[in-house]
Amino acid sequence: MIEVSYSGVQECLNKANLSQLPKLRVSVLRNIIVESVESYLRYLALQIGFDAQIRFGEYDNIFQEAVGGQSELLNEDSDVVLIFTYLDTLSWDLSRNFLALNGNEIEAEVDRIKEYISSVLSGIDKQTNAIVLWHGFDIPVHPSLGILDYQGRDGQAGVISGLNEFLRNSLSKRKNMYFVDMNLCLARVGAQQFHDSRYWHIGRAPFGREALREIAEEDFKFIRALKGKNKKCLVLDCDNTLWGGIIGEDGLSGIKLGKTYPGSAYYEFQQEILNLYNRGIIIAVCSKNNEGDVWEVFREHPDMVLEEKHIASYQINWDDKATNLRRIAQDLNIGLDSMVLIDDSDFEVHFVRQVLPEVEVIQLPNRRIVEYRNILSSCGLFDTLALSPEDRKRGAMYKAEVERQKMATQFSDIEGYYKSLEMVVTIQFADDFSIPRIAQLTQKTNQFNLTTKRYSEADIKALSESQLSDVFYLHLNDRFGDSGIVGVGVLKYEANEAVIDSFLLSCRVLGRGIEDVFLNYCLKLAQKRGKVIAVGQYIATQKNGQVREFYQKMGFQGMEKTENTSTSKVDLASYGFHTATFFKQVISEIDNIPVMEVICKDEGADVQNCE
Amino acid sequence: MRGQTFKIASNIFEVPMEQLNESSSPDNVESWDSLRHINLVIAVEETFNIQFRPEQIGEMTSLGIIIEMVKECSAG
Repeated sequence: MIEVSYSGVQECLNKANLSQLPKLRVSVLRNIIVESVESYLRYLALQIGFDAQIRFGEYDNIFQEAVGGQSELLNEDSDVVLIFTYLDTLSWDLSRNFLALNGNEIEAEVDRIKEYISSVLSGIDKQTNAIVLWHGFDIPVHPSLGILDYQGRDGQAGVISGLNEFLRNSLSKRKNMYFVDMNLCLARVGAQQFHDSRYWHIGRAPFGREALREIAEEDFKFIRALKGKNKKCLVLDCDNTLWGGIIGEDGLSGIKLGKTYPGSAYYEFQQEILNLYNRGIIIAVCSKNNEGDVWEVFREHPDMVLEEKHIASYQINWDDKATNLRRIAQDLNIGLDSMVLIDDSDFEVHFVRQVLPEVEVIQLPNRRIVEYRNILSSCGLFDTLALSPEDRKRGAMYKAEVERQKMATQFSDIEGYYKSLEMVVTIQFADDFSIPRIAQLTQKTNQFNLTTKRYSEADIKALSESQLSDVFYLHLNDRFGDSGIVGVGVLKYEANEAVIDSFLLSCRVLGRGIEDVFLNYCLKLAQKRGKVIAVGQYIATQKNGQVREFYQKMGFQGMEKTENTSTSKVDLASYGFHTATFFKQVISEIDNIPVMEVICKDEGADVQNCE
Repeated sequence: MRGQTFKIASNIFEVPMEQLNESSSPDNVESWDSLRHINLVIAVEETFNIQFRPEQIGEMTSLGIIIEMVKECSAG
């Protein structure tokens, strides 16, 4: 979020040491002057640890760059492509001269723009797998025919909406391409602030400062999600956050929570939290209170929207909040940097910001409780690029995980515990249904992730269709519920070797003996593809220390080290394949495929039947 | 106001404050091109909560002139 002035943004960028940071390559195709957005984009990139390198295409040259090809702007290294097609430049007639056109002329102009959109999209698709964010058309706030304009679909506003609809559909059919709703940006900022006619007339720069800021913020909701920097968990304070007043002093009937003001502000705020839960955000509670008092409110208060079952983890005690946040992170097995604390207290907010700067803290303003709901809904920290069935159930799944942990303590031997879970493991190849979730896992998984390679849906699709690589996933079910797709592997084939390009498991299924069976199938697949050696790579990050010696533990030999990458190998012919006995069932299509050797040539691959 | 304007210009043009004075202009500040000029206007307007007229934006040929304009806008 941008909380400083334009000058402050620039100052912060000038002072930052960017040279150590990974690059985020952003290309901007546009038919307007929009260069001033650069500082905001770079600032937001810096907030998530990237040095954004912004490259602008030539003014009003989108078609040529997309269709004709412009390798400086669009290439394999591009991370993000931003497209600005301002209607005044694209179609003066539709935007400013609408009433002079008859029905046929309007239709012809609309068709021309649709064709333009389609050509640009397929042109970009050929050149890069970068995420594409196309900023839609903003609807005129004062359409040509005034109030009559919006009585039907054929008015100016209706026609432009139709173009947006077409654009949205075209984008959604392609992996990795997204529609950015400029009308939402306009509505949030207000038309007066959104367009700055002065810059438009002086320099063909239509957007005002507030618009540029809002657009950059909106774009980064996509980029954060792409880079796995979106937040997974919301941690709630209780007193003066979930309800007004202090439960320990005011008692159950004294706190403010209900359908009328001021209780209604808290009621609506809780509804917003429940919405986050329903889109897969993990909800936790961190409160300085007597535990019994808090649960009494959850259980007994008639106007509580949130229930105990929504809370995946909690620390309700008198310890400091930094300690408690660490405990919650540990309990849920997530990183502190994927957590957001929401609290009203100056003291707690400053303390946590000091001690745990990784945790994002939202402070609620006590004097404006009616704003609580808006503050949460506008924060934009939780956006994801897709919402899988796994996401929607995540809150419940984390809760189930805490149950599993409790059960684990009842068993003296670990295998007995595994057996009691009645796990059913399914290992399959990527398909259209699983690709969004697979890409999402590569983007989000940090701890049990050997190489931490981030892939978009388009990347995964390409890898799974290529003869030179395989993408497979692991799905897990047990007596506590369906965990969904929780593991991803990518194999790349080179000569007689299979390189394990990616191997990861979601943190919520760790410690259940799954990595063992997953790697076994990974190696089995390498063997079926006719390979002799499997190559395991470990690329160290700040978070994946727990798998540093994974391949060694699994019997891989040797260790070549370069910078933060270590490589070890295993001979597939002598590998001791085994299947753990504690699973209820292990199902995999890898068992059923024939042995077909992937022969790697310079230009591509051949498949040869070896049986 | 003077100091603040220099500070903004220093941030936008990535030039140390000490190297700026009233006569700093697109002619003697290398990074002061037409695009950064807009950025400077954006930053000055935001900081002082003012709006220049389009004519003024074109007439901003030195930091000294900009400071005078800020005074004028703030007063009016």
